[in-house]
Amino acid sequence: MSARAAAVDSHDVHVTARESAMPTALLGMLLFIASEVMFFGGLFATYFNARASAAGEWGPPAGAHGLDIVLAGVLTVVLVTSSFTMQFGVWAIRRGDIGKLRLWTALTLILGVAFVLGQLYDYSVLGFGIADGVFGTTFYTLTGFHGAHVFGGTVGLTILLARAMRGQFSARNHVAVEAISIYWHFVDVVWIAVFSTIYLLR
Amino acid sequence: MPTTGARSRARSIVRAGGLLLFLMLLGGCLLPPDPKTDAGQDVFNLYILVLALAALVFVGVEGFIVYAIVRYRREPGDDALPEQHHGNTKVEILWTAIPSVIVLVLFVMSVITLGSVEARADRPGVTIEVVAKQWTWDFRYPDGVEVTGSSGRPTELPLPVGEPVRLVIISEDVNHAFFVPEFLIKRDAIDMGENAAPNEIEFTVTEAGTYAGQCAEFCGVGHADMIFVVNAMPRADYDAHMAALAAGATPPPAPGEGDCPTTIQVAAVESIRFDTDSIEAPAGEDFCIELTNNDAVEHDIGIDEIGFDGENVAPGESITYLIPAMEAGDYTFYCTIHPREMVGELKVTE
Amino acid sequence: MATTTLEPQADTYRRSWVLDWLTTVDHKKIGILYIVNSFIFFFAAGILALVIRSELMVPGLQFVDIETYNQAFTMHGTIMIFLFVVPVLTGFGNYIVPLQLGAPDMAFPRINALSFWLLPLGGGLIFSGYLFGGAAAEGWTAYAPLTSERFAPGVGTDLWIIGLTLVGTASILGAVNFIATIFKMRAPGMTLFRMPIFVWTVLVTATLILLATPVLAAGLIALFIDRNYGGSFFDPSVGGNPVLWQHIFWFFGHPEVYIVVLPAMGVVSEIIPVFSRKPLFGYKAFVFATIAIGLLSFTVWAHHMFTTGQVLLPFFAFMTTLIAVPTGVKMFNWLATMWRAKITLATPMLFALGFVSMFLIGGISGVMLAQPPIDFHLQDTYFVVAHLHYVFFGGSVFGVFAAAYYWFPKMTGRMLNEPLGKVHFWLHFIGFNLTFFPMHQLGLSGMPRRIADYSPDAGWTILNLMSTVGAFMIAISVLPFLVNVIASLINGQPAGDDPWEANTLEWATSSPPPPYNFDRLPPIHSERPLFFLTHGHGHAPAAGREHDVIEEPEDDPERRGGLA
Repeated sequence: MSARAAAVDSHDVHVTARESAMPTALLGMLLFIASEVMFFGGLFATYFNARASAAGEWGPPAGAHGLDIVLAGVLTVVLVTSSFTMQFGVWAIRRGDIGKLRLWTALTLILGVAFVLGQLYDYSVLGFGIADGVFGTTFYTLTGFHGAHVFGGTVGLTILLARAMRGQFSARNHVAVEAISIYWHFVDVVWIAVFSTIYLLR
Repeated sequence: MPTTGARSRARSIVRAGGLLLFLMLLGGCLLPPDPKTDAGQDVFNLYILVLALAALVFVGVEGFIVYAIVRYRREPGDDALPEQHHGNTKVEILWTAIPSVIVLVLFVMSVITLGSVEARADRPGVTIEVVAKQWTWDFRYPDGVEVTGSSGRPTELPLPVGEPVRLVIISEDVNHAFFVPEFLIKRDAIDMGENAAPNEIEFTVTEAGTYAGQCAEFCGVGHADMIFVVNAMPRADYDAHMAALAAGATPPPAPGEGDCPTTIQVAAVESIRFDTDSIEAPAGEDFCIELTNNDAVEHDIGIDEIGFDGENVAPGESITYLIPAMEAGDYTFYCTIHPREMVGELKVTE
Repeated sequence: MATTTLEPQADTYRRSWVLDWLTTVDHKKIGILYIVNSFIFFFAAGILALVIRSELMVPGLQFVDIETYNQAFTMHGTIMIFLFVVPVLTGFGNYIVPLQLGAPDMAFPRINALSFWLLPLGGGLIFSGYLFGGAAAEGWTAYAPLTSERFAPGVGTDLWIIGLTLVGTASILGAVNFIATIFKMRAPGMTLFRMPIFVWTVLVTATLILLATPVLAAGLIALFIDRNYGGSFFDPSVGGNPVLWQHIFWFFGHPEVYIVVLPAMGVVSEIIPVFSRKPLFGYKAFVFATIAIGLLSFTVWAHHMFTTGQVLLPFFAFMTTLIAVPTGVKMFNWLATMWRAKITLATPMLFALGFVSMFLIGGISGVMLAQPPIDFHLQDTYFVVAHLHYVFFGGSVFGVFAAAYYWFPKMTGRMLNEPLGKVHFWLHFIGFNLTFFPMHQLGLSGMPRRIADYSPDAGWTILNLMSTVGAFMIAISVLPFLVNVIASLINGQPAGDDPWEANTLEWATSSPPPPYNFDRLPPIHSERPLFFLTHGHGHAPAAGREHDVIEEPEDDPERRGGLA
C-alpha cells in the first residue's frame, strides 16, 4: 500500500474543513439569511408595487395619527446600538473573555426587547390598521415581520446568554455566538432598509 | 436482458418506429384552426415556422436515440470498454453557438409577428367594451347597445368583417380571459382598479361566420359555461343587425290586468331547484308564468326557443311573465342564472 | 472493497423499529422516509388525476360536480409538485449526496429530520380542507382575486396556504442543508469539479430553492393577510393589484419548475454514462449549463403572464427562448455520451432514455409557448397542460423512476426484477404518451384548461377519450412497479456493492451502506473515482474486482478531459 493510499483512511473522511475555514454552522446561518433576504425582498416588492400604482397620496389614511418618524428614529438608534453591543460581545469571546460576552449579550438582549416594545407602542398609537388600505397593509406586514424577526433574535440571544452564564463558550469554541451575531446584524440591516423606505423615502 | 444481436435490433427498430407513428397519429395534425383574422394569419405563419424547426429537432434527436440504442448496443459477453471520450471543445462550441443563432432568429421573427398582433389603427371600425363577469359576457357597443347572455348560453358578439375591431376588456370580479380560438388571440380580463388601464386588443376579421369563444382563465365553478359566439358579417349586415338590437333591446313587458287567460305557477325552492320539472301551456294564445322565489338567491325563467329571457326575481318575491302565443310542441324552460340545475320541460298543447 | 457491515450487537443499541424510524437523523433513513411519503402522495394525486380524466372522458358531467372537480385539479397540481416530485428527488438527494461526496451524513442531521417531518404535516393540512367544507379549489396557481375571501370563502384555501408555507419552510431548510453539506463535507481529493453531476444538480437546485421559495412564502402570507385580516395586497377595490400576486407567484414558480427538473437531469446524467460505459460527455459544459439554467430561471417568470397585458413581452420572450440553449447543450451531451458507446438497456437506462426523449418534446412545446404571439393562442389551453406534463412527468417522473430502479439495489441490497421493470416502463411510456400527446392538439384547437365539461359540438371528444384511456394505463403501470418493489424487498437477488459497474462513490460501499457510510474511501482524482478503481486506466477490468488502491498518474490524459 503506497504512502498516498495510507493517507486516505476512514478517520480522514470527516476532516475537510481547515482550521481557518468557515465553520459549517456559520455557513448554514449565512445561507438561511440569504433566504430571509429573499423573503423580505418579496415583502418590499409588494410595498414598492403598491406605492408605484397608488393613485394620489401614498401614506397613512386620512385622519390617522400619521407616521412618527421621531419614535422610528429612536428605535433605529436602539437597534443600531444593539448591533454594536453584539459585536463587542463577539470580539470579547474571540479573546476568551466570557465575562464581557455575558455583559454585552445581556445589553443586546435588553436593547432588542426595547425595540420590540417600542414597535408595539408605535402600533398602538398609529391610528390605522392592517385593514386600512394598501398602505396600512404593506406597512404592518413589513414592520410586523421585521419585528417578528427581532423577536426571534431575542429568543436566540436569551439562549446565548443562558449558555454564556453556564460557561459554555471559549475563544476556540463559540460558533453559536458568531452565528447569532450575524443574524442580529442582518435584522438590523433590514430595519435600516425598512426605515429608509417607509419613513425617509415615503 | 439483451437478446441476440440482430433480432433484438430489428425489434428495437420496429418498436421505435411504431412508437413514432403512433405519436404522430395521436397528435392530429398539430395545427391551430384556420385563422379568421389578419393578425391570426401572421401568428399561424410563425407557428408553422416553429413547428418546422421542432419537427427537425424532433426527428434529429429522437432519431439519434433510436439509432444509438440499435447501433451501439453492448453485445453479451463484450467486456471491453468503448473509447472514453470526455468532450470535444470544438463540437461543444458549435452546438452552443448554432442554437444561440437559431434562438436569436426565432426571437426576431416573434417580435415582428408581435408587432402585427399589437398593431393599432388610427380609427377602428368599432370599439366594443367586453365585460367579463362570473359567469357570462356582456358586450357594450357604442350608442348604448348592450348584448348580454347568461351562464351556459353564449353571448352574441356581432362584428363587422374587414374593418379593425377594438375590444376593451374589463372584468367585474375575478380574472377572466377573452379567447376566440379561430382568431388565434386571447387576452386576460383583469380588474386592475386604479393600477392600470384595461387591456385592449385589435384585429380585423377576414371571413364572415360564427366563431366560438370561451373564457380562458379559471374563474370558479362556471368557468366552462362562460361562452360567447362571434357573429362576423359584412358591414351593411352588421349595421342592420345592430339597429335591430338597439330597437329590440327592451325587456319583455310585464302583464297588465286581465292579460293572463292562463297562469302557470312555478316556484323556485331550496336549494337552486324548481318545484316542478314539467309544465303545460295552451297553444296559440298568450299565457303567463308566475314565478315565486322561495329560495335564497335570485332566479328567473327563460325559454330559449322563442328568445324569452325574463327579469330576475329576488328571494321572497314573485313575478309574472307574459309569454306571447306559442305553437304546439315541446320546449325547455330554465333559470338563466342556473341553467344546469334548474331546467324543465314546457309542453305546449292544443 | 467488500465491506463487512458492523452491526451493533449490544442490546443497548436496539430500540423499537418504529421509534427508530420516527426519531432517526440518519440521512439514509430520512431519504427513504422522503421517498415513501412522496409515493403515498403520488398515489393520492394520481387518483385525483383519474377523477379529472374520468370526468373529461366524454361530454357531460357524469361523476362529480363542478366544485369537486375544481378541488380535484387544484389538489392534483399542488400535491404532485410540492408533495411528490420535489420531495422524492430531495429524498434521493438525501440518501445519495452524502454517499457520493464520501461524507458520513448531511451537515445538519437534526434539521434534516425536521425538514422531512414538516412534509406529512403540511401535506395533511393541505388535504384537510376536504374535511372542513372543501379543499382549495382555485388551481395550484391560486390567482387573486379568485382566492380572496369574497370569491373563495371557506377554510380550505387557508389550510392550503398554511400547509404550503410549512412545506416551503421544509424545503428551504433542506436547501441550507444540501448546500452546506456539498461545500463542507466532501471527501479529501474531491474538488468541486470532481463531484458527480447529480451533486451539481442538487447544488444548483438547492440554491434555487433557497432564493425562490421565500418569495412564495411572502406571497402566501400576503394572501393570508388579505383573506383573514382585511389586507389589501391584491384587492383592486382598495388599491391592491391582482397582477402583483402573479408576479410574486411566478417569480417563485418558474425557478420551481427547474427545481423539479434539474435533479432528475442529474439522475439521468449518472445513469447514461454507467449504462453506456463511457464518461458523461462534456462534464464541465454540463456544469456550466446547469448553473446558467439556474441563473436564467430567475429572469423568465413573466412568460406565464404574457396574456395579462402587463409585462414587457420582448424581454421575457428573449430570456425564455434563450434558456433553450443550455438545455440543448445538456441534451447534446447525453447524446454524445451514447455515441460509440456500449449500451445496456436495463430498466434504469430505459427510464433515463425515456426522460431524454420525452423532455425533448416538452422542451419543444416550451419554445413554442415562449413566443408571445403563439402564446396568445395557446396560453391556458390544453397545450400548456401537455407541455407541463411532458416536462414534469415525461421529464422528472421518468427521472424519479430511473433513480428508483438505479438506486434500489444500493438502498436495499436487492436487485429489482428486470422483466417486470421493463413491463412497467413500456406500459408507463405508452400510457403517458397516449394521455398527453393528444392534449397538444386539444389546446391548438382551443380547449381551455380547468374546465369540468365541454360541448359535444367542439370536436374534442375523441382526443379526450384517448387521453383518459392513457391515464388509466399509467395507473395500471404502477402495479408491476409496486409488485416488483415488494417482491424484491422480500426475495430479490442480492445486489452486492456495485451491481451496475458504476462510477461514483455510493457504489464503493456495501448495499445498503453501514450507518457511517464508508469503511474506507478510494482515492479521488476524477469525477469517476470508482471507475478508475475498477478499470485502471480505461483498459479491461481487473479480474476479481479487488478494491486495491490503484493510483492514477497525475498526467493521465483521460483525467484531464478532451479526446484521448
